[in-house]
Amino acid sequence: MRLILVDRSKEVRSRFHPLTLSRPIWELRTGFTSLAEKLVAKTGAADVACFVPDYMAAAYRAKTAWPVNDPATLAGDDLLLVDPRVKAESFSVSPTGPSEIAVDDEGQVLYARVARVDLGALQTDDVGKFLSAAKARLPKANAPLPKWEYIWHLMLANPEQLSSDFAAAGRHGIEGAVEEPSAVRGAKKDVYIAPGARVHPMVVIDATEGPVYIDERAVIYPFTRIVGPCYIGKESRLIAVKCHEGNSIGPSCRIGGEIECSIIQGYTNKYHEGFLGHAYVGEWVNLGALTTNSDLKNDYSPVSVIMHGRLPIDTGSNKVGCLIGDHTKTSIGTFLNTGAYVGAMAIIMATGKPMQKFIPSFAWLLEGVVTKGFGKGQLYKTARTVMGRRGCKWTDADETMWDAVFEFTKARRDELIKKGRRAMQKL
Amino acid sequence: MATIEERVKAVTARVLNVDPAEIKPEHYFAVDLGAESVQSVELVASFEEEFGIEMEEEEALAVETVGGAVEFITRICRRQGVQIEE
Repeated sequence: MRLILVDRSKEVRSRFHPLTLSRPIWELRTGFTSLAEKLVAKTGAADVACFVPDYMAAAYRAKTAWPVNDPATLAGDDLLLVDPRVKAESFSVSPTGPSEIAVDDEGQVLYARVARVDLGALQTDDVGKFLSAAKARLPKANAPLPKWEYIWHLMLANPEQLSSDFAAAGRHGIEGAVEEPSAVRGAKKDVYIAPGARVHPMVVIDATEGPVYIDERAVIYPFTRIVGPCYIGKESRLIAVKCHEGNSIGPSCRIGGEIECSIIQGYTNKYHEGFLGHAYVGEWVNLGALTTNSDLKNDYSPVSVIMHGRLPIDTGSNKVGCLIGDHTKTSIGTFLNTGAYVGAMAIIMATGKPMQKFIPSFAWLLEGVVTKGFGKGQLYKTARTVMGRRGCKWTDADETMWDAVFEFTKARRDELIKKGRRAMQKL
Repeated sequence: MATIEERVKAVTARVLNVDPAEIKPEHYFAVDLGAESVQSVELVASFEEEFGIEMEEEEALAVETVGGAVEFITRICRRQGVQIEE
């Protein structure tokens, strides 16, 4: 059986922006692991392939061992094609069996199980045509299949996902180093400190309300308090952090200040003081000292997010902080509004006031208005430098992908740049 | 209609808060008129608004002097079909 993850719908993908501007949906995290890792574990697939939007195929190919956008993977075996939004914990479909297909109310294929004997009846040179043919020919499965609807749902579910991932990992105890005096509150079985991880003196790990997992080579500096459930990724560092419950910190992050119920994809710096709450932050982000987001409105009403720069979407939750895309940088003292959407490759220079709720990708926000700034060439130069500092390489494929993102985020950005020019005349 | 040079000087004076009468074509925005990097971006945006043109930001920010800006904007206006008084 071959598991095939398919993420090609522009409209669906936009519900997971700004993180999915530069990665497929299945690379998003909730709990310890990505959505792909959860689906692979759930289905037990050893053979995995994937289909991503063409503009990111070359860049993603460099990041995965799986075949990417290879039509040959649509033949030669029993197939299980899955929409990465499907919640792994609810996916109880047998990976093999008679062919069947599940489609949601919008016509999106949630999964298609195709027995090898039925492959001949389906076109196999294009995944879109393949799925269309499968929708037309295969019997429908009618069991409801829960799925992730918007990016903030990953963050809101993070505490429960952390607890279930800790149980699934089946590890506990201290295999790294914990320097005295440090304190572990709660049961030792709810804490795991991986080999090579180091906890400095004067650290409190509080597992009374949920488990704490500190992964390999992570370092926890003095005066940090980690409240479970929580996951600290490989080689990340926590510097005197108030780490409240529900955080997933990806690999190689530098985190300071105060953080609550947030997901940080990885390779991101938030070194200094400042509050990050109910946020989802991408990779290669730098949050300047005192950068703070609001995650609760003064009237406690549900938070809305302006996903596409136009109509606000009601999240249904009164706790949503901010969404920040890859490579975005904020200056010291940046205040992000409740439910702020900050695109990728944006530069924010604070004004001392809360920023607007929608900041497009590649925007340079100066004096509170969107400008072209120094252009994408300068942003790429910075990205190359930042990645190089962590031993990673900015490639031609990365640049091609970001050029595509620049183009398809251009229209709304240009509108705001024009509005910004007019605003500047009045400053 | 004012000339391009007069309009460039007027915008520069407003953004950088200097007297337009003291601005000369040979003046460097940064060295002589005290433009900081953020103000350079503001100048580009303000020239675009003043002349109704679109400038490629890296090219525009490479212009260092007031006279250079006049020449650059003249070229852009011609290329983009914007009517100007030279």
